[in-house]
Amino acid sequence: MNESLTNRRVFIKKMAMLSAMTAAASMFPGILFASEQEAGIPADANLDWKKGPCRFCGVGCGILVGTENGKAVAVKGDPNSSVNKGLLCVKGYHQIMCIQSKDRLTHALVKKNGKYVQTPINEALDIVANKMKETIANHGKDSVAMYTSGQSTIPEGYVASKLMKGAIGTNNLDCNARLCMASAVTGFLTTFGADEPMGCYEDIDHADYFITWGNNMAEMHPVLFSRMLEQKTRRGVKIIDFATRTTRSSTASDRSILFEPQTDLAVANAICYEIIKNGWVNKSFVEKHCSFSKGLTNMGYGLEDNYKFKDKPEKIDFEAYKEFLKDYSPEKVSKYSKVSVKDIKYLAAIYGNPNKKVVSYWCMGMNQHTRGTWMNNLVYNIHLLTGKISQPGNGPFSLTGQPSACGTAREVGTFTHKLPHGVVMNKKDREMAARIWKVPVEGIPSKPTYHATEMFRAVDRGDIKFIWTQATNPLVSLPKTGRYRPAMEKKSCFVVVSDVFPTPTSDVADVILPASWHIEKSGLYGNSERRTQHWDKMVEGPGETMDDAWMFIEVAKRMGYGDLFPYSKENHVEEIYNEYRQFHEGAKHGMAPLEVLKKESGAIWPYVDGKSTQWRFNSKYDPACSNGEDFHFYGKPDGKAIIWQRPFEDAPEKPDQEYPFWLNTGRVIEHWHTGSMTRRIPVLHQAMPNAYVEFHPDDAKSLGIRNGENVKVTSRRGSCTLPASINERGLPTKGQVFVPFFDENMLINDVTLDAFCPISKEPDYKKCAVKVQKA
Amino acid sequence: MKKRLGIISFFVIIFIAFIVVWNHSYQQGLEEAYMPVIETPTGNFIPSESGVFRRFDGTSIDYANMPVDENHQRTLKDYYENKAYPGAPPSIPHPVAKERSFGGNTCLQCHQSGGFVEKFNAYAPITPHPEMVNCRQCHVTKNTTTTFKEFAFSKPQPPKVGEGVNNALIGSPPMIPHQLQMRNNCISCHAGPSAPIEIRVSHPERVNCRQCHVPKEKKQLEIDESNFFRQFDDLNEK
Repeated sequence: MNESLTNRRVFIKKMAMLSAMTAAASMFPGILFASEQEAGIPADANLDWKKGPCRFCGVGCGILVGTENGKAVAVKGDPNSSVNKGLLCVKGYHQIMCIQSKDRLTHALVKKNGKYVQTPINEALDIVANKMKETIANHGKDSVAMYTSGQSTIPEGYVASKLMKGAIGTNNLDCNARLCMASAVTGFLTTFGADEPMGCYEDIDHADYFITWGNNMAEMHPVLFSRMLEQKTRRGVKIIDFATRTTRSSTASDRSILFEPQTDLAVANAICYEIIKNGWVNKSFVEKHCSFSKGLTNMGYGLEDNYKFKDKPEKIDFEAYKEFLKDYSPEKVSKYSKVSVKDIKYLAAIYGNPNKKVVSYWCMGMNQHTRGTWMNNLVYNIHLLTGKISQPGNGPFSLTGQPSACGTAREVGTFTHKLPHGVVMNKKDREMAARIWKVPVEGIPSKPTYHATEMFRAVDRGDIKFIWTQATNPLVSLPKTGRYRPAMEKKSCFVVVSDVFPTPTSDVADVILPASWHIEKSGLYGNSERRTQHWDKMVEGPGETMDDAWMFIEVAKRMGYGDLFPYSKENHVEEIYNEYRQFHEGAKHGMAPLEVLKKESGAIWPYVDGKSTQWRFNSKYDPACSNGEDFHFYGKPDGKAIIWQRPFEDAPEKPDQEYPFWLNTGRVIEHWHTGSMTRRIPVLHQAMPNAYVEFHPDDAKSLGIRNGENVKVTSRRGSCTLPASINERGLPTKGQVFVPFFDENMLINDVTLDAFCPISKEPDYKKCAVKVQKA
Repeated sequence: MKKRLGIISFFVIIFIAFIVVWNHSYQQGLEEAYMPVIETPTGNFIPSESGVFRRFDGTSIDYANMPVDENHQRTLKDYYENKAYPGAPPSIPHPVAKERSFGGNTCLQCHQSGGFVEKFNAYAPITPHPEMVNCRQCHVTKNTTTTFKEFAFSKPQPPKVGEGVNNALIGSPPMIPHQLQMRNNCISCHAGPSAPIEIRVSHPERVNCRQCHVPKEKKQLEIDESNFFRQFDDLNEK
């Protein structure tokens, strides 16, 4: 009797404790979670935890890496990071495991008589510097090129830009962010005149509706998706998935709407049509803060070498825009988009409801699009017409795929047309760069040269005779690799590859430089919500590995530019960041000082008077607003954002008799980028050992293809054989197949098309025509 | 004459109405006999992916606020006792209410959402696949403890659990050591009072389980090494 009473007491006590704990957990999710994880760590484990951002995607989760005896042995989510609040995804938790991979590049390798010979790093750097000098002397500055990455740290990108544009004087610098974020950049610049999202991740805690545009967040941005799901259980928010393929995200959404590839352009216009027709336009907002423009149409697709395009914007008025939209009534659009009239009206009604807050999310679906810039413009149109922008819980949000696509590629500017502040075409921007870099302004060329695709075409044509790739794997990630692999193998071009692991790209290199991994160096990344994050070196790298920034500096010194790179080996990250910060001084883009970034789990720019600016263009939050109104789109000279008239135009290649299927490519949760890191993590490899081709069950049935059978996917450019996947990870619509691109043993990019958006020059990996047959 | 016509037409109307009502109720009877799918999944449905998000729609059990009744906990041993081998459909360890009924009418009354059952002094385990209503297609009762002939089947060991067994790094999320077919709805077995203590998850409110937990082993394709040759493979081995 007594016992049962105490038992009951204990039980009630525990219940009370548990309910308190769960209440706390729901208030501060993640914080409790990280301590829970800690509880699983044996008491005798003497771990030293150091903070940093995750190595993988653009979400930029805060991680804590546990080191023991100089080795990284554990990872947990950083509870202090407002990005992920202590939670990570399966890639994040296991990221450090790839460092120990046995095929790690530990020493420089130089190709001699067709064989790679292990070479001391100093000698290898001599070879690189001499080759670069020699090539410039013989063929001019524009015969050397550098191809970097959205995975380069801020100092790495900065030194690359300074070396190429400031010291050597060529704009032959582009990066793999061209393949993933360029359309987002041009979208922002054309509409707002200022790059990067106006909102931040905290929008998730305020919104009532999330509309994802061609974006499988449950797999690609899982930590953010979990934050959305949490709001769904807690506040009953709704997630609407608008996509061409049914995915894990679709099944977790409240509504999944499927559309025919490329018709997102038409549906977005139809939503604007409905918004205007039903009087849901936020009139005072549009009058005060928006103007209307149209640009050129029938731009082409950049399929031919040396393709050039320049848009000619022209101001129009609201009436003309309204007239243009008449072609996009839901009834008309429904016919070719395969989206029902009801669904179009449903989407419009969500955006149009003045009492509901809406966030739109997108990533590669809209960016890797031959009309990617237009598509970005069109979603901004919806948010501008309804005034749902730059407020907590209201706004368009362009997600990124790489950890520093924003911080390095876009902010430092490792694109051919970019400078750390502004563009090479602008005299003032060149003058600023010349002043900070201490180089003559005439030395910085004013004309952009090659964007990524054209850069590798130039290698193929023999125009580029020296190329240095860093932290990227173009021979897996470029479209139509079938052309660019033989191009890189040509004797006419000397190829230098800096990487951590051997890849199909390093296979064609003349010199392979062993790079330090993420936590083996100090660095800074910038994530999708404008958050800059710093980390200190946590472990020593093996062999003669060297961080990429220092490799650039060593080569610059050997080329005679030592005066421009007076950084110290121990402290160069800090010195470079402090120099770089000068470019962004001011209320519009001020970066947080390093002391702050060392202490805190990142800070959002504009960082003004010791404070992150969470919502730009809104005078309540953004000190750069100066027009006395509630909103100020100060990126444009007149302070107004532009609503663009952008029509629907067809894809360059559509399924036909001979090639009857759409081919869509993408990622899976287990693997990131080209899999060179994640496939070397046993947990991830075991869960997803190889690529596959997804079919709709009806298509598989009519072709007589069973799950797991080998299937040959062929386009006009090449073919790839993969096992069929039916009713597994994803479900393409009828007439479409899907292949993830992480697998270097099944190169689907031999099949894809190198058509790109004429404005952003970003290729479309989501649409081309293929045929399939049993292999 | 008029009066007679009126009476006849009255009866005709009554008769027609009777036929209509009779047919209608007959049709309804047919519908009742058909067991509808319990959940209509929102959006589209992928068999291997959709299950994980089930039971988080707000109408199901509130896993986040569920107390632990320490006196009535299942262990992993109990869990596997009812199975012929790990992954086999468990047998029904209790007498069944009605021999000829199935699904929603009987089994799911307890096994869809669980709850304490006085009669068995235990919490009812929750099924991960409530949409499959012909329960006894796979789950059968144990009506005898004897065997027809002696047999030599030895039960394979179930996957091991515990700290450091399925996780790759200290404190990293454990991998999933079992097959997922028909067991997609993780929390049905890993949360709630009927979950075996050894595998009860500390954070059932996290919904997207497979963000962090991935299957441990998937059959790997044999790669044709002939077209996959690293030029310096032999160099690195030295």
